Amino acid sequence: MNTFRWWRGILLAFFLLAIIRVFLPLPFSNEIIIFSIYVMGCSFLLGRVGFISFGQPAYLATGAYATAFYLFYFGANPFIGILIGVVAGLVMSLIVGPLFVRLRSDYFALVNLALAVIFYYTMQKVLAPITQGDNGLWFLANMTSTPIIDITRPKEFFTFAFLAALAIWALFKYLNDTLYGACALASKVNEDKVQFLGYSNFKIRFFGFIVANVTTAFAGSLYAIYLGFVSPEITSAHRCADPVVVTILGGVGTLYGPLVGAIAFTGMKDLIAGLIGNWELFIGFLLVFIMLAGEKGIWGSLEPQLKKVFSGKRV
Amino acid sequence: MSTNLGAEIIKTVGVTKRFGELVAVNKVDYLLHENEVAGIIGANGSGKTTFFNLVTGYFPPDEGTVYYKGEDITGTPPEQRVAMGMMRTFQLTSTFDNLAVIDNLVLSYFRAYQKHSLFHLFTNTCKKHRKNEKIQAIVETFELQDVADREVRHLGLGEKRRLEIAMAILAEPKVLLLDEPLAGLAENEIKAVLSVLRRHIGTQTILIVEHKISHVEDFLQRLTVMHEGRVIADGGYEECLRDPEVRRSYWQIDVSEDGVEEACS
Repeated sequence: MNTFRWWRGILLAFFLLAIIRVFLPLPFSNEIIIFSIYVMGCSFLLGRVGFISFGQPAYLATGAYATAFYLFYFGANPFIGILIGVVAGLVMSLIVGPLFVRLRSDYFALVNLALAVIFYYTMQKVLAPITQGDNGLWFLANMTSTPIIDITRPKEFFTFAFLAALAIWALFKYLNDTLYGACALASKVNEDKVQFLGYSNFKIRFFGFIVANVTTAFAGSLYAIYLGFVSPEITSAHRCADPVVVTILGGVGTLYGPLVGAIAFTGMKDLIAGLIGNWELFIGFLLVFIMLAGEKGIWGSLEPQLKKVFSGKRV
Repeated sequence: MSTNLGAEIIKTVGVTKRFGELVAVNKVDYLLHENEVAGIIGANGSGKTTFFNLVTGYFPPDEGTVYYKGEDITGTPPEQRVAMGMMRTFQLTSTFDNLAVIDNLVLSYFRAYQKHSLFHLFTNTCKKHRKNEKIQAIVETFELQDVADREVRHLGLGEKRRLEIAMAILAEPKVLLLDEPLAGLAENEIKAVLSVLRRHIGTQTILIVEHKISHVEDFLQRLTVMHEGRVIADGGYEECLRDPEVRRSYWQIDVSEDGVEEACS
């Protein structure tokens, strides 16, 4: 029974995504699913570990470029490409993590932004002979079909990304229930006490940083495979706030937030853009409203209402 | 002072801490024996909390050395001191406000009794340990049953303070360092906390920093009085209070028996 209750939340969330897949065009669904994985990493970092990062595209690009390099220069198997992207994300986190997680939260936000900018110019200018600068790396035709589930085809890519998102979502849900999750929340509000209870803030934060950014790199690899090309645009400075915006839009620290936020954000971008043009202006106003209305985000505001409705029905 | 003193457990030699021009703690030598129940008192700004922070490793001293069981721990970070057996509470109650009361206790329990590497933090859920006997016993001792599942931020100050002391006692440290544990508690809560602490006399070393000594006078075996960063008296309770320098500088009174009564009440 308890196991069922644990899974109920996950199934509910993904039922929602499955519905989207039925009613909305495939590219739209794919974009939402990848974006929600991207935001899950950021949301975990912000909601659990307490670090706001304006440089998530740096880790997204790490995964995307690692995958792209492999598929452009070396191999053809997209799964190996993803694996390499994830490993690159891990290596990147292991290199910068020990330096970054020692910083205060506000400096952490900015140092990541700096990393994203460095990454952008490295890919655009410094490594241009390898990355082909602004033109980007195109490798859609290089990828070979894979057995069982052929992720080079959008339909089967969706199935793969959907299952991956489900698995990552379950991982984060599990993490929230563990002692690690409790330690991370504890460290977020009272680092002195964490230390004087005998835990290491550094280890807690470093681990959270790795989990979040490997997830982000994985999302980057998925982008690379799905689009079949990667350009420096993926880590450009004006996309840096996106995951944070969507985290807040969905509801900081809620598990469904990233999904709801990703749907809302992508929805506004793709649908409202067709209707009223300046969709970013619309999102700007919406964000101001959400933050003034108690910072709960869309899901944070909906959840109590839904709980009321559902518990009412059961009684 | 207690007659059969145990081995040295905490010793400071010439520890000094300056904040700019101010010398908050000035060359303090202090010795605490195993299973002793000692107190440090002093007026606001006398340096007692700063000294306490130096002992527990909240910040390092500018000069001097801190020893734990003969080992130099001056530069040892707090989490390692906890592992060695030191546990402190804070003057301003310090708990995890965004966690349930029970999970605050689970965190303290897990560190003290289980392997607590990242791997073990990752493979254990909070739920698995909430029903643990030790945790349930401490919940009852500190009368936290009614609020156990509530988030700490919804608790009153008294309940929070009880929780913080419960977290410290649950870990059964060798040395329990309490920074003004009774401040803000009601009379009956003070009695309850002290009666719990009394059960640990003889098995644990307890050091209490207090502002108001009337609460702890019949509890402490030994008293140290600080004034302007220095120790001005150290010994038995009565002995300290009779000390002319204590009376002059701490209570600013002339030597008269009535004065002590007034100051204590």
